[in-house]
Amino acid sequence: MAESVIIKNVSKKYRMYRSKKEQIGDLLFPGKMGSDFNAIDGISFAVEEGDVVGLVGINGSGKSTLSNMIGGIIPPSSGEIIAKGEVNVIAINAGLNNQLTGIENIEFKCLLMGYSKEKIDEVTPQIVEFSELGDFIYQPVKKYSSGMKSKLGFAISVTADPDIIVIDEALSVGDQTFADKSLAKMNEYKKRGKTIFFVSHNLRQVTSFCNKIAWIEGGQLREFGPTNVVMKNYNDFIKQYNKLSYEDQKAFQKKLADRRKYGSKKKK
Amino acid sequence: MKAFINIIKEQISSFYMVQRLAKFQLKIDNQNNYLGFIWEVLNPAIQMAMYWVVFGVGLRGKSELDGVPYVYWMLAGISMWFFINKAILNGSKAIYQKYSMVAKMNFPLSVLPSYIITGKFYGHLALVGGIMVVFWIKGYAPSIYYIQLIYFLAMSYIFAFSITLLTSTLTVVVRDVQMLIQSVLQGMFFLSPILWDRSGNFPEWLQSLLALNPFYYLANGYRASLLYNNWYAIENWQLTLYNWGLILVILIIGSSAHYKFRNRFSDFI
Repeated sequence: MAESVIIKNVSKKYRMYRSKKEQIGDLLFPGKMGSDFNAIDGISFAVEEGDVVGLVGINGSGKSTLSNMIGGIIPPSSGEIIAKGEVNVIAINAGLNNQLTGIENIEFKCLLMGYSKEKIDEVTPQIVEFSELGDFIYQPVKKYSSGMKSKLGFAISVTADPDIIVIDEALSVGDQTFADKSLAKMNEYKKRGKTIFFVSHNLRQVTSFCNKIAWIEGGQLREFGPTNVVMKNYNDFIKQYNKLSYEDQKAFQKKLADRRKYGSKKKK
Repeated sequence: MKAFINIIKEQISSFYMVQRLAKFQLKIDNQNNYLGFIWEVLNPAIQMAMYWVVFGVGLRGKSELDGVPYVYWMLAGISMWFFINKAILNGSKAIYQKYSMVAKMNFPLSVLPSYIITGKFYGHLALVGGIMVVFWIKGYAPSIYYIQLIYFLAMSYIFAFSITLLTSTLTVVVRDVQMLIQSVLQGMFFLSPILWDRSGNFPEWLQSLLALNPFYYLANGYRASLLYNNWYAIENWQLTLYNWGLILVILIIGSSAHYKFRNRFSDFI
């Protein structure tokens, strides 16, 4: 099968400052002040068309940064991401306005997603149906519960029909029945041969949904391969990690953090 | 130059989106008021009434400017000012305020300032409509020169857009720019012949210098179309050329700055 997303030695560096003064200093004399933090450090792998790739790793490992880069939301500092086709990030809570009603939000978010008038008219009934909000659709979103809001956002997001989809913790919205429905929708995408990147802490969901896993640790790619192999290793790692004492866990985290930080000129 | 063409293309292809988003923005802004959109007109109208009382009745009495009572002269110019002032102030904040809303979508970012301006433009059109009615009642009948008003309305919009395209980008990079804009606008208000025009007493060189202020051209254009009934834009063709040239230069600088930083907005916000 053809490769659909190629990630080539991608890094994302953030400048970190301790104060506004350092920030201005860095703006005027680049590189003199502040320190670098490698959110992502030289990751390379290639994904084939129709692959469903789960991104796993402990908090702060850089999963979201990587998925945002694949989605084209933030540019990599170095390296290159080649995506063959249109990429779309399922962002359930972005682009909803609390003041507007549900039905107005549908048009609002669809506009932000760049839909034409015709397309909006076409998808609106589908969204109303999928969101299961009933008459609440005519109420302002500020009166919604967080679950209802997520349902609406998700229902709008999935009307997009891109070739490559990035999902960041989106399937854990709403109650179990809605989560199942969302997963079914995702499986439909999967069947149609879309490439999907899936970020989640729900390991059971990841295992059942993905056929490949990229395990990110401290901004680097620790392992990439078929689900059964990588997931086994990752589960072993988690078990081991949980067995460590609090001090050892902290030491491990610090080791990872030190690897990603440099340029601070021994300021401790 | 390529950036400039891209921006223009983006604006044209997003025309429908801009109109709809502007409408939503007005709705969002005025959701909690019973009078809703009416406030967009009422607010400047009340302010105008204040100026009328203070400057028209209090300080200047019944004075006239080239045969037009001071208060009408002021109303025509200040309506333009209220629009551009608000459009620039709000438009400059557009990207850094609204970026998170559209960050995860392939949204044409130059549309953010333009839909904010468009929202204000709707209010402006309503306000100018109201002023027209006042003028009709006072005997300034509609004339062929209203065609010129459309030209000046469009130009105010384009001028506000060219400025905000640049300032909205700069504001993201250095937040302080917003404060600077506020002060500069306040200064421009008193340098422009909006509340008063004493430039007749100034030396020749200073008069021509003050004429280079785009607000000078726009304010006089509104007045010529609504009150004086002359083809201001044609009679002062040098100023017309100069102002379009200025807008073009600002647009080119603004669009290249916008494109230079567009991919890195997320790093700054």
